[in-house]
Amino acid sequence: MRVLLADDNAERAGALARVLAADPAISVVLVRAGELLADAVTAFSPDIVLVDMARPDRDALDGIRQVTAHDPHPIVLFVDEDDPAFMEDAIGAGVSSYNVLGVPPPDVKPILRAAIALFRRHQEARAGQTEAETKLHEREIVDRAKAILIKERRLGEPEAYRWLRKQAMTSGKRIAEIARSVVREKEGTSI
Amino acid sequence: MSQTIRIGLLRLADSAPVLVAQERGLFARLGLDVAIAIEPSWSNLADKLTYGVLQAGVMLPPLVLAAAMGLRGPAAKMVVAMGLSQGGNTIVVGERAAARVAAPQQPTGRMVLEWLRSYRIANGRPPRFAVVHRFSTHNLLLRYWLAAAGADPERDVETVVIPPEQVAAALADGRIEGFCAGAPWGDVAQAAGAGQILLGTSAVWPSHPEKCLALAEPWLEANPESARLLVRALLQAREICATPSEAPAIAALLAREDGLALPADVALAVLPGGGASETLAFLPGAAAYPSAAHALWFLRQMRRWGWLDSRADLNAVARRVYRSEVLDAEGVPPRPVADLPPCNNRDE
Repeated sequence: MRVLLADDNAERAGALARVLAADPAISVVLVRAGELLADAVTAFSPDIVLVDMARPDRDALDGIRQVTAHDPHPIVLFVDEDDPAFMEDAIGAGVSSYNVLGVPPPDVKPILRAAIALFRRHQEARAGQTEAETKLHEREIVDRAKAILIKERRLGEPEAYRWLRKQAMTSGKRIAEIARSVVREKEGTSI
Repeated sequence: MSQTIRIGLLRLADSAPVLVAQERGLFARLGLDVAIAIEPSWSNLADKLTYGVLQAGVMLPPLVLAAAMGLRGPAAKMVVAMGLSQGGNTIVVGERAAARVAAPQQPTGRMVLEWLRSYRIANGRPPRFAVVHRFSTHNLLLRYWLAAAGADPERDVETVVIPPEQVAAALADGRIEGFCAGAPWGDVAQAAGAGQILLGTSAVWPSHPEKCLALAEPWLEANPESARLLVRALLQAREICATPSEAPAIAALLAREDGLALPADVALAVLPGGGASETLAFLPGAAAYPSAAHALWFLRQMRRWGWLDSRADLNAVARRVYRSEVLDAEGVPPRPVADLPPCNNRDE
């Protein structure tokens, strides 16, 4: 089976290509940067196309026919009508799959499942990174708020932290939010 | 009422009514909690409406019809609740073609036909024209115009699909010979010297329906009252969008970096009252009515090009997909149909 992979994220595309290439029955080709998706389909004539849903040129495959020397094949979105949750999963992960021959090859679902898992892992890694950055940023703000309190109110460091925590508990806000308002009040800048 | 309604749209100037309704608090005033999702492709919008990730979207009417008829996968439960905008697309050809086609004393159509045929002889292939989606108003109006000039859109041109923000560059570096795309991309290509605008699609069908509000059908069935309020807010937003004195504020909204990030000057030029070759229209009241006659025009064109099963009952499809009950409930009168381009071709 020939799989065309359209994903500008080189790291993720490479990882997925390696996973799929482990099956000797599958050959994988990546769409080159700047190459039109429709041209890549013509050049490689794949059985299925896996597409990163973030690509704006995904529309090039929607509803078109792949014209070969013999007859035009409709390219259709792979959809498992009996398993809508599977489709929601794919959309949630941001990957879609097209069958070039109109009918899905029998083993398309495991391939798409592998793609979903990989896209999902990248999504989580990215989310984790943002969360880590936010946490780091918040710790800086709390430190700056503590420094202000230590200086202005002549508190020790543990007392400054307890003051922030108490404010947070009484107002139902997070410590980072209280810290942010302390810093904003003092420095007059938005954070 | 507190359930969030997610509305999907693309980076296009005619997404304005939804952005204006959100920005001016028109949704909030009616108790609606709306979240806007900017999607990179029409396919994403269609998929997310089909699988309930979005409840509503700013859509191409022929794509809603195609999705509902199962032309891009299993038949999707998706309906058109109202029209959002009229016109705004341009047909553009590269500089060399424009020099041959633009003869002031000759009808453009005949010159185009001669150019298409001679291009094919000289290059061994027909010229490539880009549209934004196979099931788009752009593709259907381009084909209608070519056919009216005597060309065969299946043989005399090759149609490719390229995202609108990439068509000007594709024309400039010779990947395509022409395109039909929405505002502001024709003017962008012309300003960059990549090509010339031959005509706006309003010359093919005056005030033709362009973007529509599509709703996920299960959501409409379960939330008829929310759908009414949604449409009411958008009718108000369309009036703001139609007012030329509001255009600078709307252009600034379309240009916001955390939003669509469109070029502000070009956005201003394509809004009502602007100086672009073809401007968008947000015609008042009845023009928003989801007229079955409009659905039938698109469907007949789709059948004309062999995309539909010849046995399909087009009237039934039009009635099922173009759902006027929401606007009826809001007291919007049906649009008098007087201005459809004739469909007296080999499709009927």
